[in-house]
This record gives sequence, C-alpha cells and structure tokens, in this order.
Amino acid sequence: MIHSLFLVNASGDIFLEKHWKSVVSRSVCDYFFEALERATEPENVPPVIPTPHHYLINVLRHRIYFVAVIQSEVPPLFVIEFLHRVVDTFQDYFGVCTEAAIKDNVVVVYELLEEMLDNGFPLATESNILKELIKPPTILRTVVNTITGSTNVGEQLPTGQLSVVPWRRTGVKYTNNEAYFDVVEEIDAIIDKSGSTITAEIQGVIDACVKLTGMPDLTLSFMNPRLLDDVSFHPCVRFKRWEAERILSFIPPDGNFRLLSYHVSSQNLVAIPVYVKHNISFREGSSQGRFELTLGPKQTMGKVVESVLVSSQLPRGVLNANLNPSQGTYTFDPVTKLLSWDVGKINPQKLPSLKGSVSLQAGASKPDENPTINIQFKIQQLAISGLKVNRLDMYGEKYKPFKGIKYMTKAGKFQVRT
Amino acid sequence: MPYFGSEETVKELKRALSNPHVQADRLRYKNYITKVIRYMTQGLDVSALFMDMVKASATVDIVQKKLVYLYMCTYASDKPDLALLAINTLRKDCADPNPMVRGLALRNMCNFRMPGMPEYIEQPIVAGLRDKASYVRRVAVLGCAKMHSLQPNTDIDGSIVNELYALLRDPDPVVVVNCLRALEEILKDEGGVVINKPIAHHLLNRMKDLDSWAQSEVLTFLLRYRPRSDDELFDILSLLDAFLQSAHAHVAVATLRLFLHLASAHPAVQADALLRTSAPLLATCGAASRELRFAGLCHVQQVMRSQPGLFATHYKRFFCGYSEPSYIKFRKMEILVELVNDENVALVLEELRSYCTDVSPELAQAAIAAIGRIARTYSEKCLDILTGLLALKQDHITSAVTQTFRDLVWFCPQSTAAVCQTVEACVDNPQDSEGKQALLWLLGEHGEQISSAPYVMEGYIDGLKTELSSAVKMELLSASVKMFLCRPAETQDMLGRLLHYCIEEESDMCVRDRALLYYRLLQRGVEETRKVVTGPKSDPSMSVLTGRQEEPISLWASTFNTLGPLSGWDLCLQTAVISASEPSGSAENELLPGSTDVALSSPNDTQEEISLSLGPPLSHETFEKMWLDLEILHRQTLGFPRPKTASDTLQAALQLVKIQTLAFTPGDAVPWKAYLYTRGTGTLILAELLQEVPEAPDSEGSLVVSVKQHPKNQQTIRGFVLILKSVLQTLNVDPL
Repeated sequence: MIHSLFLVNASGDIFLEKHWKSVVSRSVCDYFFEALERATEPENVPPVIPTPHHYLINVLRHRIYFVAVIQSEVPPLFVIEFLHRVVDTFQDYFGVCTEAAIKDNVVVVYELLEEMLDNGFPLATESNILKELIKPPTILRTVVNTITGSTNVGEQLPTGQLSVVPWRRTGVKYTNNEAYFDVVEEIDAIIDKSGSTITAEIQGVIDACVKLTGMPDLTLSFMNPRLLDDVSFHPCVRFKRWEAERILSFIPPDGNFRLLSYHVSSQNLVAIPVYVKHNISFREGSSQGRFELTLGPKQTMGKVVESVLVSSQLPRGVLNANLNPSQGTYTFDPVTKLLSWDVGKINPQKLPSLKGSVSLQAGASKPDENPTINIQFKIQQLAISGLKVNRLDMYGEKYKPFKGIKYMTKAGKFQVRT
Repeated sequence: MPYFGSEETVKELKRALSNPHVQADRLRYKNYITKVIRYMTQGLDVSALFMDMVKASATVDIVQKKLVYLYMCTYASDKPDLALLAINTLRKDCADPNPMVRGLALRNMCNFRMPGMPEYIEQPIVAGLRDKASYVRRVAVLGCAKMHSLQPNTDIDGSIVNELYALLRDPDPVVVVNCLRALEEILKDEGGVVINKPIAHHLLNRMKDLDSWAQSEVLTFLLRYRPRSDDELFDILSLLDAFLQSAHAHVAVATLRLFLHLASAHPAVQADALLRTSAPLLATCGAASRELRFAGLCHVQQVMRSQPGLFATHYKRFFCGYSEPSYIKFRKMEILVELVNDENVALVLEELRSYCTDVSPELAQAAIAAIGRIARTYSEKCLDILTGLLALKQDHITSAVTQTFRDLVWFCPQSTAAVCQTVEACVDNPQDSEGKQALLWLLGEHGEQISSAPYVMEGYIDGLKTELSSAVKMELLSASVKMFLCRPAETQDMLGRLLHYCIEEESDMCVRDRALLYYRLLQRGVEETRKVVTGPKSDPSMSVLTGRQEEPISLWASTFNTLGPLSGWDLCLQTAVISASEPSGSAENELLPGSTDVALSSPNDTQEEISLSLGPPLSHETFEKMWLDLEILHRQTLGFPRPKTASDTLQAALQLVKIQTLAFTPGDAVPWKAYLYTRGTGTLILAELLQEVPEAPDSEGSLVVSVKQHPKNQQTIRGFVLILKSVLQTLNVDPL
C-alpha cells in the first residue's frame, strides 16, 4: 500500500527515507520538487501528485513534507489520515516534530515506522500500544538509561492485545489515582466588514489523562448534551448508551487519550468572544494610509481574553507602518508585509488599540483590497459553546479517585475582513 | 554521498567495533552501533562493517538487535554471501522464548531482498503461522507475501494459501486482515483473494474488532462480494450502517462506496446513505488538516454530481478562508457555483466578488469565471458585479471579465444587450491574447449592437505589426469579416488594409491562409460570404434552460474514494486511456467475435428515422471519463476500409448528419482510430471507429465501430450505425 516514505524539509532536501516493500529511488521525488517549484507558496503543493509509475501523496506539517510513494490504487483519505497519524505519533514521542527532533531521535523514528507499517500496511498505530512496544525518550529516561544501561524497548509484548479490553492493559497500578479531563474548544469564524458573522463553527475535543488502578468503569454526563453535533468517540465509549441516554460510559485506556471530538456548527448560535473596530483606509494619490484597530471583548461570560495576537498581511504596496499600540508590542516585516501585534490580555475598562499611519510606495495605485485580520486568543475556564460536564462517576473499583475538569477556548481560524 | 573523510570514519568504527574492550562494555558497544546507523541514514556507505555488525546481533538487548537488523536489511542485497552468515543467528532468534524477539527476527529475515532467501525462510514462516503469540503470527502472515514476491515466477504454494485462508478465522483481528493482504498479493495473477459467502459474513461480523485502517481495507475487499438475495443484501447493509458515520473519514467514505456499490439496484437506499454520510463529509471539509479538507471537498464534489441539493443549506462551509492554499480555494469555488439557489445567490455572489481581487491572478480569474457560470442563471446580478470589476482597471481582471462575457453571450443569448452596453462603456481593453481574442469575438459577433465597435477594431488593425500572437490575428480576421457584413461602410477600408497586410507581409502561414480564404470568399460576392460566415450555428442555450442534469450515481461510484478525482482528471485519465485503449482494441475484438452483428444489422430494419443532434459540446475530459465508465453495447464490422478522404472532409461530412468528431489518428497511421459522439432521442452516443493493421499487405483492413450509449436505447444505436455507415460509404464511393 505505502511503498516508501520520504521526509523533505522546507528547503527541499530529503533528510529521511524509509522503504517497506522495495527500495524506490530518490529520483521519484523529482516530480514532487517540480510541483514544489510551481507552487508559489509552500502550502500550495497539491496533496496528490500523479507520476508515470507512482502516486505521491504528501502532507505538510511543521514545515516538513511527508511524502508517501504509492504504487497502486488506494483510498486517498486513508493515506492522508495515516500520514497525519505518523506525525501525531512523532509529536507525541518527541514533544515537537521538527527536522532537528527527528534527526536526534532517528533510531526511535525508525523503530516507530517499523512497527507502524509492515510491508506497507498499517499495523500498530494506537499510541497506547506503541508506547508499550517502544518507550518514548525523555530526559530523565535518557539519564537513567545511561546509568543502568537499560533500553527504550518494552521487554514485554503489549499485553493489551490479550486482555478483554483491547485498549487497556491489565494490572495497572498507581499510588495516586487521578482522572483529568480537558475540554478544549477552537472557534473558527469569518467576520465581515460590518462585524456580522459570515461563518462560525466550534471544533471541540475532550482530552483525558486517566491514571487509575485496575479496571475502572467511568461515566461522564453533561448538563447540555444536545448541543453537540457530529460527535466522534474513542473506541472505548459505549455508543448505545450515548444514543439512548446521552451519557458517556467507558473503560478508559491508560494514560493520555482523546475521549471525543465534536462540532458545534453554524446551525446553532455560536458566540463570538471578541470584536474588532477597524478603520483602514488608503487614499488615491496620497502616499499615506490610515490604520486604526481596537479590540474588545464580547460574549465572554465575564472571563478574561488573553494571549491575544493579531496578525495581518498588508497589501504589497505598503512600505512601512508607523503605529502606536496602547498596550503590547507590534512588529512589521517590510519584506513579507506581515504586521503582527502581540496584545496580551484584553482589559474591558481600557480597550487595546493600535493607531497610526502606513506609508505607501510613491506612485503606486491604491490597493484594491483591505487586509484581512487574523486573531489568536485564549480564554481559560470557559467552553464557548456552553458545554458543561455535570458529573463523573467511577464503578468497578473500590478506591476514591481524584477528579478534575478544565475548560479552555482558543481561536482556530478566526479572521476579520476589513 | 561520499564525502571527505568517510573512509577514515568507517575505518575508525571498524576498529572500535572489533575492539574486545568495547565489546565487553555493553553501553559503549551500543553507542558505536547507533553511530553506524546514524551514518547509514545520512547516506554514508558503511557496508564494509557488515561482518562486525553481524557479530553484534548476538545480544539480549532488543534495541541493539533492532539496529543491527535495520543495518542488515539495508545492505543484504549488496553483500548476499555475508548476509547468509547472519541468517543462522536470525533463525536461532526465531526460536527465542520472547515473542517480540521471534517476531522481530522473522520480520527482518523476510525483509532481506536477495536471491536464494526463500529456502531459508520458508520453515520459520510456516512455524510462525502456528505460533501462539499473535504478534508473531501477524509477521509470519505478511512474511508469506514477502516470500512470494522474492520468487515471483514460481508456482503458488497451495499449502500456504490454504493455511492463510484458514487463518482468516484467527482470533486476532490484525492477523485476519494481514491474511487478506497477503492472499491478495500472492493471488494477484488469479484476480486476488476470493471473497465467498462464508468469508464475507465472517469479515462483516469481525468488523467492529478491527482498527480503522483494517476496517477501511476490509470494506474495499468486500466490494468484490455480490449478495445472492435482497434479504442478504439488507442484512449486510444494516450491519454496516453504523460505519457510515464513523469518526474516521476514510472509514465513512469506504462504507459509502460499498453501500453505493451493493445497493446499485436500490436508488432509495443509495440516497439515504448519501444523506447520512453528508455529516462526516462536511466535517472532513472543515478538518484541521488542509490535505484532509481537500480530499473531503473532492468527495463532496463527486456526490454533488448526483445530489446537487444535498449540501445546499451548508453553502457557507464552502466560503474560502484567507490563508487556505489555492488548491482548496479552487475546489470550493467550483462547489459554490453548483450550490447557488434563489435564497443564497446574493450572499454567494458577494463572497465570490471578494475573491476577484485576490492577490493571485489565477484565483481572481477563477472567481470571475465562477461568477460567469452563475450568470447563466442569474444574469442581472452577476452582470452588475462584472461591470463593477471592470472599473478596477486591473489587466488580469479586465481580461478575465471579457472572456466571461464571451462565454456568457454564447450560452445565454438573452444577456447580449446588457453585455454589449458594458463592453461599449468599458474604456480600457484587455492586454493579454486570450482577453483580446474574447473582445474581438464579441465585437465581430455583435458589432451591430456596439456602436464604437469599428473604432476599437481599427485600433487593433493599426497595431497589427506589433501583435505577436497569431491566434489574435486570426480572431481579428474573422471578426473584421463579420463586422464588414453588418456594417460595410465603416469597415470596408480597414478590412482591405488588414487583408493586404496579412496576405503580403504576414509570416505566419496559418494567418496568411486564413486571410486568403476570406479574401477569395469575398471575391465570390458579399451574399455568398454572408451565407458561409453567418450560417446557422448550434445553440447551446437550450442546455442552460433545462438546467444541469442530475447524473446517475453509477457514473461516478466506481471512482469514488479513489485517487483519480484528487489528482485531476486530465492527467490520470490520459495515461489510463493511452495505456488501456491500445491493447484493448484488439482484445475486445476477440472477446466479441462479431456475434452482435447478427442481432443488430438485419436489413429488415425499417429505417426508423431517428434524429441526431449535436447539443452542447462535450469536453475531452468528459468524453474520456464516460468512455471508460460505459460498456460497449454494440460492435460491428462495417465491411469496408476507412474513407481515403482528408480528415477535414470526413469531419465535415459527419457534422452534416450531426455527428461530432472528437479526435482521430492523424494521416494514414495504423491502427487508425476516431472517436465520435452525438445525441439522439434523449441519449448520448459515444462511438469509436477502428481500422486494424491489415492481415495481408495488399488488402485493406475493415473498419470496426464500437458504440457506447447512455442511457441505453437499442433503437437509437441501430439508427446511428445506419447513418454512420451510409455516410462512410458515400465518402468511399465518391472521393471529393
């Protein structure tokens, strides 16, 4: 299915290759490099590139292209999802998935690829099972290994496959029994000139970190479960129970896992937590333009909007920007024309603003489109959809676990047109 | 990558690895091995260390073993004789008490790509198939496939195949799927693994134990199974129902494909499946990864060919984000055009309008073309927007708008007056050759409605010397002649200058010949010219009125969830057609030994008058796609060779009876081929004419016609063949 995998960095060098069925020469990547050259932006390379004898399917993550070589017909979504899974696994193991991290851990990378695919077919991709086969490198473990001479590999076979519950191994023991759940929502929105919402959508996940002894059986219920559209669960969740009672009932995997992901789409009302007042104008003939931005909170249910970062791609004719932020710092890159303003917290009493002028190239015609503004932000202790966990109960074990729930809202692709 | 000092490095490593002190210190020893692997992955040739590395494989440390195995797999094919030494160690490991070591050793042994391997690995593989640890069985099952690929030309080992079929009942789900994968490879020449009723039902029952990758693959394998009865079919479908909304897009899509395939006789079931999958598909279109989003969009586009209304309420999901890559934006615009209806048209147009000023000219032009497509139904609003765009005075926008106007006037003549008004008011003209051609065509075709037309054209004629593109010159010639026919007084003088220049000074033969043609035509008299130049044309506007046809699901179901739609039809299909059509021409002939002749070409057929029509032109891509999708309904040997007339004559003659020629082999090449299409009594007919290489050198081969049709209608085919036959015969008798 997947014949070979090439890792290509941003400057177009192959820095890692792995072959499963037979060795495919590096020259097959020439077709990919051609496409890379044709694309004006690095992310414009089409995901599927047909060549006379192969198909090349690539994904771009963390400025690295993961190029899979395919020799026969395959379902495209299958390969794309698999490549993303590979990247997720690397990230899980090394914390970051950069060229340097991969090169440093080249041995673990090969071990992982060897276990994830055999003869080109996906084999073990569950993080839980992989971690039992190959232990992730940590600074502590590296030190311990150097002293004791022990290794990164589990000496035992993953027992999970033999237990009744395939995602949980038997004989788990902890002194502190704890279960933490993070409700993280990302809001994607496009806001038009006048401040009304064009599209808005919430993509939410509940990530869990469960460290419980034995075989606990958990149930989690929500205050308002009807809110969720398009829910997808970890295989451990009993689907029947959810359909009937809207309660999540499951035997959790050990450690970190994603319990469920969901969408709240534009059909429901999506609250927009920030607003932008803007006044950006360029006059015909003059070499100056006015630039004013003011940010303010809106529908935040009293929570503070923090880590706010505003960025905007100014038109090509802009030479420089001379602006004055009321708080935070701003930078303008005259080469890429990227303006970014690190705002920090939004104080509702004193709204942050960025005012000043931009200078245009002399003689250039007035830019015909105003820039789009991208906003990043975080809101702690709030799920913007209003989702709330009602209670968490544990059955099947005698001890009393420590339970915790955290909410967070982040901006996903949040843009304001001007 | 032999770089400076590489020999030194290898020598140093060799010394270190063979040093007994190093060998005694486990940690240092392993560090050196890691170093070797690191050099190897950087492309340094460390094959000289093979002997030392083989020695290092005798260890209890699993990581060290893995590293050494990795090394051996890389260099085994270069040093087959040395690799044989390693095999003993590996075979010993295959009997290790630790299942992980057994699995590792077996997997790596199978990965050695060198001749003579099979005799060493066969016994451990067979033992592995019966191992009690599932990890080893998984490896052994795939090992069977690897062993087969090492000796591709030998006979298939029946006992192993039987063993694999038996292992399909293994309790471990991964072993089950690996069995399918291995059998598929081993039995490739015999058509792959056989899915009979017991296997199919067994797989269906195991579906929920499998991981998502395996589910997707099993669903693809199940495409081969045909249920015997409707009851069985519905049992299968209800088992699979939950997977339609799987959390993994690839599983949901694979399930949908299976549904469409199995329920091809039950359109209601298909429609219901499409409806239920629309949610996961939409979610994929909004996924965080752009590649997934792109794949989702391509699938949505396919579904929309049959169910254009399915996503209508979600049109906002297809608005482009600012930072999205262009391949996504193009797809989204194509989808938006299809989703337009009375309620959302204003919003969609507003959205597309904002893309028209995008920084990338290609994107801006695509957006303008998209507005043009919508204008075929909602002309007024679109014309306002397009006119507004002209005021921006950007070259690429002006050019794109002009081209859009041309297409619009062609498809929807009722908008002509408004377009002409706008063109007249527009001050600056397009600068690139496509835009110029479009403007000239508009001026020529509708010169009587644009009062300033002759003056604009005069400007072009005066600038002829600096014009580089011959296509523009030809368009200018045609347009001037047309203009001359409706406004002779204003045009006569400049037409004379134009013809003079093109005939006397032009170096491009094509342009000169065109000018000569018009010149001689004009010599025959104005009325004669008018008859030729402004004769009746086909009218594509009808197809717009009836709206876009909903295509049957079967047209695209076969390519659903494959790579084709993602890589762009043109590229992949061209190669497919070239490779498929060359040999298949003769092969199909043998398969259908003229049996259909008897059934169809009986002379008693009362000449039922069927009326053929040209209808809207078919693009090459659509033709190729349909040709590949449809089956040959009729094949007939015509009994005479192809007409020896020039290809233009043939084309013109066929056009006369409303048969359009799409493509043909140039000149006298053998085998000679031509592709034709036409429409009649509500069906579309595609045909291929083929002249094989003659068997005897002096005799001429006979023409064979193969017909495909959609939807089927035997009567029309009969009529079509008769017409085609008579045309070709006439040409044969009377070479013009």
